Amino acid sequence: MTEPLLSLTGVAHVFPNGTRALQPVDLNIIAGSFVSLVGPSGCGKSTLLRIASGLLSPQTGRVARSFVAKPGDVGFVFQDPTLMPWATVTGNVALPLELAGIPEAPVKARAALNGVDLKDFADAYPRELSGGMRMRVSIARATVTNPRLLLMDEPFAALDEFTRFKLNDDLLRLWQANRWTVVFVTHSVREAVFLSERIVVMTPRPGRIVADIAVNLPATRDAELRLGHAFADECAKVTHALEAAMQAAAVIV
Amino acid sequence: MRKLAESLLPFAFGAVVVAAWEIAVRAGDIPAYILPGPLSILRALAVNRADLLAGLGVTVQVTLLALILAAITGAGFAFALSQSKLIERTLFPYAVILQVTPIVTVAPFVIIWVDDIFAVLLILAWMAAVFPIISNTLFGLKSVDPNLRDLFRLYGATRAQIALRLLAPATLPHFMSGLKIAGGLSLIGTVVAEMVAGTSGERSGLASRLLEASYRLELAKALACFVLLGLTGLIIYAALDWLSRRTLRHWHDSARDSERTGD
Repeated sequence: MTEPLLSLTGVAHVFPNGTRALQPVDLNIIAGSFVSLVGPSGCGKSTLLRIASGLLSPQTGRVARSFVAKPGDVGFVFQDPTLMPWATVTGNVALPLELAGIPEAPVKARAALNGVDLKDFADAYPRELSGGMRMRVSIARATVTNPRLLLMDEPFAALDEFTRFKLNDDLLRLWQANRWTVVFVTHSVREAVFLSERIVVMTPRPGRIVADIAVNLPATRDAELRLGHAFADECAKVTHALEAAMQAAAVIV
Repeated sequence: MRKLAESLLPFAFGAVVVAAWEIAVRAGDIPAYILPGPLSILRALAVNRADLLAGLGVTVQVTLLALILAAITGAGFAFALSQSKLIERTLFPYAVILQVTPIVTVAPFVIIWVDDIFAVLLILAWMAAVFPIISNTLFGLKSVDPNLRDLFRLYGATRAQIALRLLAPATLPHFMSGLKIAGGLSLIGTVVAEMVAGTSGERSGLASRLLEASYRLELAKALACFVLLGLTGLIIYAALDWLSRRTLRHWHDSARDSERTGD
């Protein structure tokens, strides 16, 4: 077995107000894999992601990476697009490169915008874009540095279903072309199954991992996949695991 | 066409009031030392124009210089306060005290302690203007999107990069609305300071000349000063409003035209 790119060992976290966000969690992420963390609100998915990014230090446990992280090695997509409203689309995407003093930042930013089909909006300001387009900008910014690890925190939760499917398709296409290592947080089982190779199921109060499921779907996928039986079966598998764990723990939502 | 007519309404209203005033003064034979008519105010403006313009020059100079100083020190002070909760809790109450103390009550002390009258006026006008800049800028600094802060941290931004590329632009709209309030306050501060300091001669401002003229019952001249001061306030506000729209036009809702884009 290859050494994991990211390895969390016994990671636990309690918020200052006493809420136990995470019970000790072990999680290994293999390089080039697409892993989703699925679970209801309050199960510590986002906390786990922030710990993985290095933005939050866990109170106990160890976070190990197979690489020495320089700025730009970890890309983060927030639930909100989190764009700078005063900068153009290109300016927003170029930010990680400019902060690191990398030359030709705007050129590289435009290439990343091409990848998310926004090249015609390079000089627009965020307020001129739709919600889906803003999220595309956010994805372009997170990937412009070609990160070792791409962390996404419920990026499509606020979008309508049509836009969400379209962005799922595009993200999948981008991932298949670039093979970033992705950890994707969502509370949508369908979204997780469609995108991931592996799904980690979590339950709340306190947050913990209750199932780790390999998705048995072809590596090359497209929008058609959502309509097939195989897809429905995989969704059922994840949903059952989630429900069983919630019942066992007597979690009331 | 209707829009044009509507925009002319305030001018029409003003013209009617001024005309009624002139007619009332003439018809009632009201003496000029009680209430001069608009035409005699205009005459006083023309006759004393060298005198009044010199005064206006001093007042405008003090007002603008105090405003610039207030903008720089206010923004700097707010930035310092935002750096630590402890600093804010220690110093912010003093900013409030500065604000709530009527500058008229401070003026006599400043006049005793500071020899140069121009400096006296400047200090008092600055005191009147600085608070809204401090409080608005501080509010802006505290409202910066925490996720954007995280993003800058994730990409290893230096303190200088965070200050210049995140805090400064994110705070600009709040700073600008503080500046617009401060512009009016700076003029008020200057006028009050001039009246209390009671300067006279070459270097006195428009408000001192207003006071002087009213003591001599030259009401037409005093009212001419009053009109000029009012216009100055209006121009300062319009200029700052323009500056605010200009700097924020691409992105901030406050600078947005009525046009809205839907999706």
